[in-house]
Amino acid sequence: MTTARNLLRIPVARVALAVLAVVLLLAVVGGMLAPYDPLKQYPQTLAGPSAHHWLGTDYVGRDVLSRLMAGTRLSVIGALEAVAVGLALGVPAGLASVWMGRLGEWVSLRVTDTLMMLPFTVFAIAVAGTLGNGLHQAMIAVGVLTSPGFFRITRAVALGLRTTHYVEAAELMGASRWWTLRTHIWSKVLPNVAVAAAHAMGSALLVVASLAFLGLGIIPPTPTWGGMLSSDLGFLEQQAWAPIFPGLLLVFTVGSLNILADCIREAASGEARRRRGGVLRRAAGRRDHTPIGIPVTPVGVVPTDEEEQRRVVAA
Amino acid sequence: MASATTGATLTPQTAVPAAASTRRGGAAPHLLAALRPLGRLLLTTATVLFLASVITFALGAFSKSNPAATVLGETATEQDIATMNHQFGLDRPLVPRYFTWLGDALHGDLGKSWFTTVPVSDSIKQALPVDLSIALLALVLAILLGTGAGVAAALRAGGFVDRAVTVVCSVVATLPPFVIGIALIVLLAVKARLLPAGGYVALDVDPVQWLRFSILPALALSIEVAANIARQLRTSLVGALRENYAIGAEMRGFSRRRVLFGHVLRNAISPTLAVIGMAIPLIIGGAVMTEKLFNLPGIAQLALQSAQRGDVPVVLGTLLVTAVIVLIGSLVVNALQLMLNPAARRAGTLTGGAR
Repeated sequence: MTTARNLLRIPVARVALAVLAVVLLLAVVGGMLAPYDPLKQYPQTLAGPSAHHWLGTDYVGRDVLSRLMAGTRLSVIGALEAVAVGLALGVPAGLASVWMGRLGEWVSLRVTDTLMMLPFTVFAIAVAGTLGNGLHQAMIAVGVLTSPGFFRITRAVALGLRTTHYVEAAELMGASRWWTLRTHIWSKVLPNVAVAAAHAMGSALLVVASLAFLGLGIIPPTPTWGGMLSSDLGFLEQQAWAPIFPGLLLVFTVGSLNILADCIREAASGEARRRRGGVLRRAAGRRDHTPIGIPVTPVGVVPTDEEEQRRVVAA
Repeated sequence: MASATTGATLTPQTAVPAAASTRRGGAAPHLLAALRPLGRLLLTTATVLFLASVITFALGAFSKSNPAATVLGETATEQDIATMNHQFGLDRPLVPRYFTWLGDALHGDLGKSWFTTVPVSDSIKQALPVDLSIALLALVLAILLGTGAGVAAALRAGGFVDRAVTVVCSVVATLPPFVIGIALIVLLAVKARLLPAGGYVALDVDPVQWLRFSILPALALSIEVAANIARQLRTSLVGALRENYAIGAEMRGFSRRRVLFGHVLRNAISPTLAVIGMAIPLIIGGAVMTEKLFNLPGIAQLALQSAQRGDVPVVLGTLLVTAVIVLIGSLVVNALQLMLNPAARRAGTLTGGAR
């Protein structure tokens, strides 16, 4: 819990959390708060902002503000579902892989390689083409492709910890695997997983938007941020500013998630007072090597874990 | 200043473990030592290819759509379904079906479309050059733009260029890729009227026209990857410039430029190569978006159209071919890493190690 307290001490983290709280609120009650029915078409199409329609209307005369508010739910739920699937598959497998023996390790790493190699959009198209075109299918597909990131970060941290003296000592003194896992390993794995989850959530929002653009997962009249963005982009000649609203909402949400991830990393490694770069660098996220943006360098772990992992893989 | 030095020591890029160097032993011949990582890489690649084929086949096997229902729709009778299933070999057990499918795929036969009965490999052969040529151009552009921006940012860390690069990278990282593509269309095609907004001419028909049509999609594809490369390169360059050897070289009177290009760049390039390796799925996946945006007759359009019709063999074929392309790309990047960096020779994982 010191991590959570450290986190709240960082001003940028508080702002990011506030933005995310608003988005979450919109996701829960946005449809009810919306001033108009998001599907109702009004006579004045492509209208500018006015007292009636604060953000104007779209190409068939639907109220943009209402659509934005109502569309938050599906966008957020889709991304949450993908991240949940990724977590459920990746984290237990990552923990288990440390104790699985050489063959199990090799196989699990190759499965990870395979999943990391498949491009999101092509895989999502294939899933839609074979298993049906729905939000759940698309998001489970995205979640499956997200899981290697969680697998690798969990495994890297657990592997590094397993060779530390206190864990070895606990094992020598007869501690069971569960006990070691709960007492020593879980608390170190959790912040890393939280960082990865925040990043993955941001990336998943972008993937949901991209899939909506392709017409995958979400059937058109239902509003989502990505769907609004792509339909606005067809009417740039008449309404050049229209994509700005869903675009800004997306940028703020994804940016906040990246900032949050960076701040959790900072809070967990106990360097809360040291500033490392501005808000923008945080917002960019450190999606270094993985496609969905889960950084693979763990925090607060002995730096030899990578070498350890390599030795295990190579042996 | 104190925090800066601790920051540099906390992030060692390549620590050489003593155990790993002794493990290979002095007695082993040099050739064998050089071949072993390569062999491991090939074994890994073969396994990944096998797993990818299993995943692809499983998607088809779990699919509820069958040729008769998709082609004939509501009017399909039980008998029609049985005949069609027999015709496409869908009434056989899964395991032999998988091996037949895999064997055929290895010979370049991916089955036939349920709708047109055109061989899938023929459709893919038509669409593939479009993607490959544009993806390659995008990769070149991404490396040029990313390296340029990364080096420029690292040359004066904290300066104006550095800040500008950071701002651009942050915005790019928080936007879905198709928005960047559309922004490029609006700026360069609609407003400036420099380039065509869509369409395609094959490379072997007219190279100049090809470049005119493909430079915009390639640029749209490359921006995100370029931002990733720039960010990684900047981070590793700034880190490496604080290492003792770089400071030492600078103290001996070499210019900062000379230290950067002569000494530091070579060491910083390896993590960047890993980013490029990971960029290949990004580019191929992004190709779907750009193909739809720029109306290119590529493999992703084929996949998308077939998916909407429920044409399973074509969908599976495109997924498998895409996986193979990405695999070949990462094999090349891995081989490059092995050649460039002796330390990476110990890390045989496919996706460029977890570094």
